[in-house]
Amino acid sequence: MIALAVPHLFRTPSWAVAWLGFLMLVAAVAPVLPLPYPPHTLDLAHIAQAPLAPGQHWLGTDAQGRDVLSLLVFGTRTAVLLTLPAALLAAVIGALLGSAAGFWGNRARVDISYGVVAVGSVWWALRLPTPWLGGLAAALGLAGIATSGRRRRNVAFRLPLDALVTGAVTALDTVPRLVLVVALAAGAGSISPAGLLVLLTLTSWTTPARLVRAQMLRIRTLPFVEAAQAAGVPAWRVWLKHSIPHAINPLKTLFPLSLARLLGLESTLSFLGIGLPPEAASWGRLMVSYRQEPSAWWLFLFPTIMLIITILSLNSLTRPPK
Amino acid sequence: MALLLQGCTTKRPTERALKIRWAHDPENLDPLALANQTAIDALYLLNCSLLQADFTTNRFAPALAEALPSVRFLGDSLMQLQYTIRPEATWDTGRPVLATDVAFTLKLMFCPGLPTEAPSSQYRFIREILLDPRNPRRFTFVCTSQAVEYVQASGDFFVLPEAVLDPRGAMRRFTLAELQRRPATAAPNAVLQAVARRYTAATPGQTPARLPGCGPYQLVKWEKDRYLRFRRKPHWWADRVRPRPFTLQARPARLDYVIVPDAATASLALQRGDIDVFPQMPTREFTRLRQASTTRSNLNFYATASYDVVTVGFNTRHPALSDALTRQALAHCIDAAGILKGTELGQGQRTVGLVSPTDRLNYNDSLAPVPFDPAGAAALLRRAGWQRGAAAADGWQRNGAHGPQQLRLVMRYRADEQLFATIALQFQAAAASIGVPVSLQPTESGAFSMALRSGEFDMYVRALRGNPFMFNFTSFLHSQAIGAGNTLGYGSPRSDQLIEAIAAASTVQRRAQLLRQFQALMQQEMPLLPLFFLSNHIAAQKRLVDLHPTSLKPGFAAMAIGEAAAPSTSP
Amino acid sequence: MARLLFWRLLRTALAVWALASGVFLLSHLEGSTAVELAQPALAELRATGGVTTPAARQALERATRHRLGLDVPLFYVGTHRPASATAGQWHWNGLANQYHRWLRDLLHGQLGASFRTGEGVGARLQQALLFTLPLTGTAATLAVLLALALAQYLAGRPRGHGLLRGALVGLQALPLFVIALGLLLLFANPETLAWFPSYGLEQATDAELDAGYQLPLYLWHMTLPVIALTLSALPELTLQLTAALEAELGTDYATTARAKGLAERAVIRHHALRNALLPSLAQLAELLPALVAGAVVVEVAFALPGMGRLLAEAAAARDFPVLVGGVLLVGAARLLALLITDFLSLWADPRIR
Repeated sequence: MIALAVPHLFRTPSWAVAWLGFLMLVAAVAPVLPLPYPPHTLDLAHIAQAPLAPGQHWLGTDAQGRDVLSLLVFGTRTAVLLTLPAALLAAVIGALLGSAAGFWGNRARVDISYGVVAVGSVWWALRLPTPWLGGLAAALGLAGIATSGRRRRNVAFRLPLDALVTGAVTALDTVPRLVLVVALAAGAGSISPAGLLVLLTLTSWTTPARLVRAQMLRIRTLPFVEAAQAAGVPAWRVWLKHSIPHAINPLKTLFPLSLARLLGLESTLSFLGIGLPPEAASWGRLMVSYRQEPSAWWLFLFPTIMLIITILSLNSLTRPPK
Repeated sequence: MALLLQGCTTKRPTERALKIRWAHDPENLDPLALANQTAIDALYLLNCSLLQADFTTNRFAPALAEALPSVRFLGDSLMQLQYTIRPEATWDTGRPVLATDVAFTLKLMFCPGLPTEAPSSQYRFIREILLDPRNPRRFTFVCTSQAVEYVQASGDFFVLPEAVLDPRGAMRRFTLAELQRRPATAAPNAVLQAVARRYTAATPGQTPARLPGCGPYQLVKWEKDRYLRFRRKPHWWADRVRPRPFTLQARPARLDYVIVPDAATASLALQRGDIDVFPQMPTREFTRLRQASTTRSNLNFYATASYDVVTVGFNTRHPALSDALTRQALAHCIDAAGILKGTELGQGQRTVGLVSPTDRLNYNDSLAPVPFDPAGAAALLRRAGWQRGAAAADGWQRNGAHGPQQLRLVMRYRADEQLFATIALQFQAAAASIGVPVSLQPTESGAFSMALRSGEFDMYVRALRGNPFMFNFTSFLHSQAIGAGNTLGYGSPRSDQLIEAIAAASTVQRRAQLLRQFQALMQQEMPLLPLFFLSNHIAAQKRLVDLHPTSLKPGFAAMAIGEAAAPSTSP
Repeated sequence: MARLLFWRLLRTALAVWALASGVFLLSHLEGSTAVELAQPALAELRATGGVTTPAARQALERATRHRLGLDVPLFYVGTHRPASATAGQWHWNGLANQYHRWLRDLLHGQLGASFRTGEGVGARLQQALLFTLPLTGTAATLAVLLALALAQYLAGRPRGHGLLRGALVGLQALPLFVIALGLLLLFANPETLAWFPSYGLEQATDAELDAGYQLPLYLWHMTLPVIALTLSALPELTLQLTAALEAELGTDYATTARAKGLAERAVIRHHALRNALLPSLAQLAELLPALVAGAVVVEVAFALPGMGRLLAEAAAARDFPVLVGGVLLVGAARLLALLITDFLSLWADPRIR
């Protein structure tokens, strides 16, 4: 709420940098901070206690008797080490795939040997009849790539890149996220922090991909791209150096929002009873515990404040300076 | 505008419905499948069984039957139970409820092609039904055991109308024993197929009205995930029974079960008077409302001890957990008293075993609950042959029959249960303090069942549902059931013997004696640690009387509820 | 043009089919969990004469498997082979497999019967959709209209409205269940303001009231859920659109338009909006399948029946026919959404081919 009252402070990037730096610092030194209570030790005598009540819990305790301050500190660690990388990874993957799909469409030409390698490896991995055949094919393909070297005009086939990427995006978005998560969690039993990173990335790269692809469709037709291509610049250079910087514009707004959404997704997982390791404290889960204890406003207020300030900082950093 | 609309809603229909909150939809009202507890509650409104639980005494009492069955032992293993159906009892068509209906229902449980997995295993002990040629309402069950609990269990199924499902009585050709022995691979039989087809066509799971039972209510409307509306039959046969026993009471003219999944929402609705009864209220919310002045004046609060016991189980197949001393040591790391006080606000009862402390006769009160004592736990570990490594990170080690063992454990619990998570975290911290590393795996509930089934756990936390009538631990702790219901992999000749003796005990006193021995043995062997019995909380509007709060599911008698003689406050 | 659309449609239909097949196959790999959950509960302590031996339990599981149609192989080919062949070998299962049956029924327009209730999946989905669509549809429409208005307003004065921007970002940071619970505790609580009912569509809508009362009652019940959903969808739409608009306003043609003397508002409305909408259209396309998939959090919080709850409960109970049916339905909605987006993109930017 403080963030809403003084938003102009957060307009200047120095504030944002300071806050984000502070978060990084907290995340780094969390294990050695002299916290009055360790994060996963229960204080059964003081359950769901309000802030500043007797019992030395400055920010109160949650419905299980854990110290909210410690959970916030370690939640910061999770946010910096897990949620932020996941959001970045999703944005990068989404931007690369989306822009490639938008740039080349279904007309990308790929050397046949790459196709041979792919088919051969799949054959081998699935142990289809006589798996060594697949392995052999893959090896031959690799040899072909190695020997062909710089020679052009190989036999090539058309890779329907756009169809593949849009198909994957459609598929991932069509399965309700919940079902996907339940299936993954059921398969794995419960989710480890690394598994959570993969899960978050896997379910969230589609939005940036779609946005970037749409933007790229437009940029592709702009004069400077056509000019570069006419000047004989290789396609991949035009894509990487000239088109992507413009195509990722929508991500600048999206990124802070997607961070919030990832934290929200993580809290939804807890809401649905999907097993996340209880050792990984997080802001989102702290907010979820508010549901069991609707009178405990502190469970929800403090992480929300942290989240809002963080997102405002990121927002002010990514907004183009006027 | 909101106020104007509120004005509209207060114009209620003349007959006021009693609204009870359910957390989820019963989904399937099939009287054979008995899908879940809400479905069972609903089915008790629609159907009658021979015996039903009497919430005033917490015992089985005659409902459709005139009296409790008369018992006669045959030899040393068979038992005959003779029942007589009340002469007043009729179906909605006016046709009397007869012994042939009971025989038909039992046979239907073994009819292939129907969802009868549960009852067919549960009622297999009734080997034959003998009809009395002189009295069409009298019949005798021949049971394959002389245990006391079978006397009650024999009457606890819903009787279905033969005339609707098998109008020509074609099933009478089969004896019950024939159907029970029928192999799964047998060639399909035209008669059985026809009955199964008729049953399936009536879709009793979805449209119970097409297979009307002889219970007091009709299902008038069922909006999935919203509500179920029951209306009292204007002329129910039990209205003629004098004096009216408790099991045949049906006072509310209309019963609405509304489905409100979220507890916080349901609590608001209760405070606003949108629902009348909120069973199984979360402890903290219950306590908060009971102490708040605004709600205290409008609501009544009832708390009863339930038969749900929270237990910690040990996978005894795990080499490190195969000896009782280690299990006892770990049991000393759980602060049951502290958890009960902290999370359940002291409501609930600590226990030494799987028998509820409210059961004075059977509960072994000479035992003491396992204390919380990490230092004692370390001492017990040493006695079990464990040695703590020199460095703190080494943990505990010992040399077992199959090489050196490390004491590090995985604890599983259902991820959506806050209480279990608290227990697990407390245990983890206490175990860490004596150097035993425990990793927690909160697991999604379907995956949890599978993990238990396949033994992929070292320890678990879960609640076991019990009742005061049955004390048969065979499916759960007998070594014969390893690979079936015995997920702990536990079994010893001594416990097997005791379990069998309890199941076969033919007097209540003998059974109590054996049960006390069994509790002592379980505490010593510690395949599982029962922590405490949970408390059952009900909040209801003040105007409602005669809820008869009980320890039995669903915790109160919906059909007995009446309204207090209109206090002047109600509009 | 028509050919292009036809191909895209075909491609998406193929994607949906492949997806549904994938979900079908992956979920049914977990068939044993479904069977396990259909068994009498293990947590039931002290049942008389329950299943005691592993053999009895296996017989029971076989019976359940047969009843649910899970007793035949999953697919045309498989690697599992009991005893006779070495593990890991592929072999042909014949046409009597679960996938073939499912596909055959699907071509006849049947989605199968729910594992839990035995009810037809099609009917159940339809029932749920009837409640979900008005709820999510209203919320989406409101969110889009509000976002359009707010974005134009915000883009018109890029330096001002820090408060509004901050509020939007803050709103985005709140998980949906917090919004829903907050609304409930504020506006349906006798201790604060009891303006709205606390739980959805209670019997009042079906009570013996005439139609004149029913509609207002229905609206009264839907107010809070719709507000919750709108609030949760609004920030992202608005901020995205604002950013796009601001980017467009920095381009040459906008400067030209301004140089011609057009007011900022007119520049936005007549020039920038159309181009800025393009990336946002992709987002709008995302909305339609989400409309069909329902909003489980809001449905749980306000006790509304709907697709979200249906699918969530089906997933938890491993009710695969309902689950696969739901995925197919959402897939169909996506098909439609893609079609609409294509039309809209062509309208917004005819250069795209």
